[in-house]
Parts: sequence; structure tokens; C-alpha cells
Amino acid sequence: MIALPALVLLPATGGLAAWLSDRGPEARHRPWWVAITTIVLQTLLLLSVTCAADWGHGPWLAHFSAPWIPALGIAARMDMDGLSLVLLWLTTILSFPCVILSARDVGERPGLFHLLLLATIAGIDGVFLATDLFLFFFFWELMLVPMYVLILQWGHEDRRRAAIKFFLFTQGSGLLMLVAILGLVILHQHATGIVTFDYFALADTPLMPTAAMVLMLGFFAAFAVKLPVVPLHVWLPDTHTQAPTAGSVLLAGILLKTGGYGLIRFVVLLFPDAASRFTPVALALGAAGILYGAWLSLAQDDIKRLIAYSSVSHLGFVLLGVFSGSPMGMRGAVVQMVAHGLSTGALFIIAGSLQDRLHTRDMRRMGGLWQALPHLSSVGLFFAIASLGLPGMGNFVGEFLVLLATWRISPPIAALGAAGLVLSAVYSLTMVGRAFFGPPHAGQGTDHAPPADFGARHMTVLGLTMALLLVLGTYPQPVLNLSLPATPLAMPEMEAPQP
Amino acid sequence: MTAPLSGLPPSLPILGGGIALLMLSIAWRRSEARAIVIALATLFLAFASLWSPVLSWPGDPVGILFVPDGWFAYIAGLILLSSAACAIMAWREAGTPADEFYLLLLLGTLGALVMAGSVDMVIFFLGLETLSLSLLGLIAYHRIQPTADEAAIKYLILAGLSSAILLFGLALSYAESGSLRFAAPSLAGPDGPALPLAATALVLTGLFFKLSAVPFHTWLPDVMEGAPIPVASFIAVTSKIALFAALARYFAGADLLRPDAAGMELAIIAVLSMFGGNLLALGQTNLKRLLAGSSIAHVGYLLLALLSPGPFGLASAAFYLAAYAAATSGAFAAMRGASGLSDIAGWRGMFRRRPALALAMAVMLISLAGIPPAIGFFAKTYIVIAGVSARRVVLLVALVASSIIGLYYYLNVVRAMMEPVPEDHRAVRGTQANTVLITALAIVTLLAGLFPEMLVRQTRALLQPLPVLRAASLPPIAPHDILYSE
Repeated sequence: MIALPALVLLPATGGLAAWLSDRGPEARHRPWWVAITTIVLQTLLLLSVTCAADWGHGPWLAHFSAPWIPALGIAARMDMDGLSLVLLWLTTILSFPCVILSARDVGERPGLFHLLLLATIAGIDGVFLATDLFLFFFFWELMLVPMYVLILQWGHEDRRRAAIKFFLFTQGSGLLMLVAILGLVILHQHATGIVTFDYFALADTPLMPTAAMVLMLGFFAAFAVKLPVVPLHVWLPDTHTQAPTAGSVLLAGILLKTGGYGLIRFVVLLFPDAASRFTPVALALGAAGILYGAWLSLAQDDIKRLIAYSSVSHLGFVLLGVFSGSPMGMRGAVVQMVAHGLSTGALFIIAGSLQDRLHTRDMRRMGGLWQALPHLSSVGLFFAIASLGLPGMGNFVGEFLVLLATWRISPPIAALGAAGLVLSAVYSLTMVGRAFFGPPHAGQGTDHAPPADFGARHMTVLGLTMALLLVLGTYPQPVLNLSLPATPLAMPEMEAPQP
Repeated sequence: MTAPLSGLPPSLPILGGGIALLMLSIAWRRSEARAIVIALATLFLAFASLWSPVLSWPGDPVGILFVPDGWFAYIAGLILLSSAACAIMAWREAGTPADEFYLLLLLGTLGALVMAGSVDMVIFFLGLETLSLSLLGLIAYHRIQPTADEAAIKYLILAGLSSAILLFGLALSYAESGSLRFAAPSLAGPDGPALPLAATALVLTGLFFKLSAVPFHTWLPDVMEGAPIPVASFIAVTSKIALFAALARYFAGADLLRPDAAGMELAIIAVLSMFGGNLLALGQTNLKRLLAGSSIAHVGYLLLALLSPGPFGLASAAFYLAAYAAATSGAFAAMRGASGLSDIAGWRGMFRRRPALALAMAVMLISLAGIPPAIGFFAKTYIVIAGVSARRVVLLVALVASSIIGLYYYLNVVRAMMEPVPEDHRAVRGTQANTVLITALAIVTLLAGLFPEMLVRQTRALLQPLPVLRAASLPPIAPHDILYSE
């Protein structure tokens, strides 16, 4: 299906168009309109892909394949299953708040900003679709460069350090994954005599247990940096805090999900035996992440930093779910990823709006905002509660399924994870209390005009996000049905790739 | 002796003819325009001649001096193209009088070609010295500047020293084997391994000095900083390609996977070069010195490819050389396009002052750092394929770790270019020819990165017997067996 590469090419082309449209004196909002058109077209395209998908013939829904570097067995191959589809929808949906709410007010060089934003989205879409490991790695690296420039150019006060930290961590772990990919390819070549980067062919490679473990760890390192898993998370708080709002939303909402996606698609499905032997370590890391992230969230004064650490905590559940070894845990992990993307993306928008209005992210200098900014504060309260996992929201479904699946294999880990939920209630409510309730901060509102509240534009977009979270919380069945990843072996109808 | 295998690649007499013509032209009347036209025409003619059959004569009395195989043709192509790039960069920059600059450039190119194609110690050494001596003249070409003198003296002393070491190694090798064949002597000789080991170690030391691998690299940053930009590019690209080609030939028959002394030495030098080069570049404020460090690190990556024989080893090295040549020449051309601005602080705000130039520079740096979509990404992947295939675990770990260091300083330059325009910036400009060169190199770097298939086929073909040899109705021989067929 030619529409799969189009999903990648459309945002890239739209980004170029937005960049080119930024010419002339009256062009202030033209790139923004081009970007909006692009994401609307992208939504329509994704809708048509969803409708035209090959429903009912096995778990794989759409395919595309074209030769790229046949001399080394590299093809431009993309395949879509339910998991890809869910995450593609998440990407597309979250691109709306990014563009509509936060990218419009970029003062400096809006054309370049939109180009980079859309290029990142294109790279992420490619990551979710590619089933040739070289192509996957190509997109994996490609999505970093525009994000690096976004942080560097439009970030906050300490952006240089944050940007380079982000890049070095992700790129360095990516190189480890590259070595692991190539190790798998070479082992496959030794076994069969064919050099190929095809996901489905490589999944058949017979592997010694040690080799499988080493290769799996190479993949795990890259995805663990992205997700992030606790000892490798140090880039995340800085990067999220320093990135411009749209960058934070993209990072927390989608970019982190590529780590979860990679864990499912590559670590668990390519190396099932090694992954099951690795389970105790992964579960321990997941529980450690949940508690450590929550604990550090409690101690933050910077509101964006608090949300960033809470991401570390919430995505620990994804690690637990992926490695729980049961379909229920896997589904829970996917629901958790989607719900976390929506709620944390929205929280970053709110934090960014607060920073625009109050010129600070420090919660010690906020307080009593409910009177001045009732709309913003109520929306903030909603997403904070969603993020702490109140029943009825998507986050609750995800965390509940994950804990249930974890309980079956390790009750202590499940208990630790549940303890993390308690902490998450504490820091979420503390954040709401410090920012929105309580006495107004002294110097605020006296020497400045009162800050403007959310208008119709923000309320519409965020309201739709709320609705999605509620739907996900009350009727998660469609996502649950889709989210079980297709195994690479369930690929009967495709012809063998050209060696 | 298999005489038909020997023969003179036509590119060598063409270059010789071009040099003679240029000398005549200078003797008649000086003109930079005529000099560069003659130089470029010679280079392109020599490039075109790479596809023509080899000049050979039956009953060759001298023995095998050159092996014009696929490896030579490929390397020669890279050498000629990168020399042409240097010549274009030198236009209106060479100084007055400018004519001899192009003469020396052609002479150096001739030396590089001779080195890349020779399998005889004497011929190899002649090529090496031709290259070294013309480089000396090129480095000191702006002789009014004190830095140029300093760089030339440093180069002179170290080049002389390393030539002496190399020559001693070659002599020991001859004493051991009784043959002037330019190849690592076999350790299984009658007199035990001591003599061949010493010979190999000395030859390697000499080659590594010229190739500026760590720990023989200390001259390179100083020399490159003092030399004019086209010459710095010539040192970093053309001469390194030729030396690496010669190194590959020297070890063509040796089994580098065996953990013997030579393999160990190469591996240690490779690791040292990766880290040493990247760490050296890390703290630099001068772009030329940064590129010097980067080129040392790239020698380390190339040694990894050399140390990984098998279906990918030499092919990946060949691909990497092309990627490295395009990106490094491009970076120097971009510096030339910015009035030779080599201070990194001076590049601040370049994205707003000269967006196209800054973009080209960014493409080159991204390629050197190995980030997609530039060609350096695929090149590095290819080398890692070779390394994984040969199970070079330690070297791969070193490559990954040192590449991360590399990312930092390449991106640092990109970041400086994105900063706001400083108050005290001065206008920069280059020549039109140079702009064409930068554009071409940037397009090559991007397109070959997106569609590397053609170049991959080209480099893989190096492992096949040459069509020219088959036409002479010879049994098919792998190119590197040729060196050993007495």
C-alpha cells in the first residue's frame, strides 16, 4: 500500500512547504496555516489507511515494500499492525495541540520551527512503520536531529546543555542498537547465507542463548534510554524542562513512546527467550523507575521538571507491562502509553502556558491562580487527576491492567508499583494545590496586568483531549483489541523478500 | 614472472604530461587562469583514463611495478577528484605567483597515484617522497606568514624522520625476504620471526607517521593550522587516501584476524586513533585543528575496516574513504567560502549571515558525525557491519564510545552557526568556482547518503577480478592474490 510511505512523506513535504512559505513581510502566520493544513491532510490520510486496511486477514493490516540498497539486503519495507496504527493515531492526534496551541506563538522564524516540528513527526511515523531494521534505524536517528535543533533554538535558559545531553544519550544508545542490529544480521547471514535487514526474516534467526541475550541488551539499551528506564533517564528532566512547549509535548507525548514501541516490537518479539530470561531485571527496573520518578517529583519546585519526573514514573508501568509476559500486560502497557501521551502532553501545554503568562516555572512563585485563570486551572486539575490514575480515565485502565498482569508473576513488584500510584496522587495533588489554590503569590498580579485565561482555541483542543481520555477510560475495548502486537511469524501471505 | 599483470596505468603518463605542459606554460608566460585550466584538464583526463585499458608490454624486463587493479582504479578516482577539489579551492587563494601551486599540486597527486598503485618498494618510496616533497612546498607556499614556515619546518623534520624509519623497515624486509615486493613479510621465515617483525613494525611506524595515526599524530594539527586551506584539505584527504590504500596493499595477503604482533599493533593504533583524534578535536577553537583531530579519528575507523577482512572489510573501507573525502573536502571548501575563516567563534550566526554556506557546512559536519541522511551515516554503518562480521568487539566498543565524543564537537560547530549574529562579525566571501564545488559536494553527500546503492555496488566490485585482466585471457584471480603470484 503506497499510503504507508505517504504517511512519512506528507509531514516532511508539509514541513518544507511551511518553511518555504515563510517569506515576505506579511508571512507571520502563513507557516502555521500550512502546518495545520498538513496535519489535517495527515489525519485524512491516516483515516483512509485505517479504512482501507486489510481487516480480518491476520494481524498485519497494510504493507509496503520497495528496493533501496539491494546489494546489502536493505529494502524500504513498511508494515502496519494494530500497535502501529494505535501509535500513529496518537502521533496524529497530539500533533494538533502541538501545532494549534503552542506553535502559533513562535516569534522567531516560524517557518523553520514548523519544518522541524513536522520533520520530527515524519521521523516518528517512520519509526512506527518501518519493518526493515536499517530503515527503522534510519528513522530512529533522523527524528533526533530536528528535535535537537528545536530545543537548541527555541528552548529556555539552559537549552545548550539540555540539547547536547539529549542528543548524546539518544545517539550513543542508538549506536549500541546499531551494533546489535548488525550482529543479528551477521548471525542470520552465518545461518542462512543471506544478508538481509528484513524484520520477518531476522525473526527466524536461530540464536544461541548468550548471543540472543547480548543482542537483546543492545536493543534494550536504546529503547531504555528513550522510554526512559531509571539509570538511563538523566537526560529527560533537563530536556523536557528546557524544550519549547511544542517540543516538550512531542517529547513526552510521542517520542518517549517510540521506546515503548521498540521494546514491544523488537526486544520482546525478536528475542522472546532472552526477554523472558531478562524479565526479573526488567521488572525490578520498572518498579525502581516508578518509585524513583515519583519520589523525585515530590521534591520539585519547577513545574515542568515535576511533570518530567512523573513521566519517568508513569512509563515504569509500560516497562512492567511489556515484560509481564502476558497479553493483558502488553495491552495495559499500550493503553498506558496512549493515555500518558494525551495527559502528559496536555500537562506540558498547561505548564507552557503558565510560563508564558507568569514568566516562571517555579511553583513557589505561583499560587491562587484559580481566581485569575479559572479555565486554565480547571483544565490543569483535570489532567493532573487523569495522570494520577483516577478511575474513568485512560491512565487508570492502563495502570490497572499492568498491575494485574504483574501481580500474577510477581506480587512484590506489583505492590511496589501500587505504592508508586499513591506517591503519584500525592505529587499531582501537591502540584495542583501549589499552583492553582492557596493564597496568591505576593508579587503576582500587582505590578502586571492580570494574565489572560485560556480562550476558545485552547479550551476546544484540550476539551477534545479530555474527551478522548474519558473515552479511553470508559470504553477502552477498541484500543485493547488493536494493541496486541502482531508477531513477526504471522506473515503468511507476503512473498519472501529478495535476497 | 607473470609479466602481463604488470603495466602502467595510463593516468600516470597523463599526469606526467600535464606537469610538463604546465612547466612549459609557466616558462612561457605566467597566468593563474591558464595554470588552473591545465591542472584541472590533466586531472579530469587522468580520471577519464581510469576506464581505459592498461598500457602493458610483453616480456616486461623490470618485473611487476604497478598493479592497476580495481582497488587502484577506485583509489585513483578518489585521489584525482579530491585533488581537483583542492585546485578549485586554491583559485584566487594560492598567492602570488600562483602557477607553481598547481604544479606542486599535480606533482603531489602523481606521487599519491604512484603510491596507491605500486607493489614494489622502490616505486612506492618514490611515490611517497614525491608526495612529501611537493607537500612541503605547498605547506610553505604562503611563505611570508610565520605560521607557514613553522608548519613547513615541522613537516619537513617529521616527514624526513618517518621516511628514514620507513626506509629502514623496507631494507630489513628486503634483507629477510630478498624481494622488493611491497608486502608484509611472512613471519614463518627460516630465521625466526624477529627480523620480519622488526621490518613490519618499522614500516608501519613510518606509514603511521604519514597517516598521522595516534601516537604519531602530533604534527598534524600544527601543520594543518599553518597550511593554506587547499593544502590542509590535500593533507587531510588526498594524501591520507593514498597512504591508506598503500597500507591496505601492504597487508593484502596477511591474515589480520590472527592475533599476531602486526594485527595487535594495528588494533591498538586503531583504538588509540579513534579516542586520541576525537579527544584532540574536542577542545579545539580552531576549525582546521578540529578537522585535523577528526581526520585522525577517521583513520582509526578505517583501520577497523582494514582489520575486518571478509566480504565487507575492504569494500566498507573503500566506501568510507569516499564518504570521508566528500565530507572533509566539503568542510574545507566551506571554510574557503567563508574567506578562510577558521576560528569557530567566527562562524557564530552563520545560519543567518550566509544560510546556504552554513547549511552546506552543517551537511558536511553531520556526515562526518555519521548522522542520517548524510553519506557518513551509511559509511559508518557499513564499517560496523564489517566489524561485526569479523567479531571485532573491542574495536566496535571503541568506535561507539569515541563516536559519541565526536558528535559533541561536530554539533558544537553546528550550534555555533545557529547562534545569533555577533556584533563584530565581518563579511565573508568566496569564489564562484568554490561555491559550485561546495554545492556539488553537499548534493553528493546527501544523495549518496539517501541512495548509496550505486557506490555500494562499485565498492563490492573491488572484490571481483578486473575485466581488463580477464580480457587478457587470464584465469580469474582475486585482486589481492595478484600480489603473491610469483
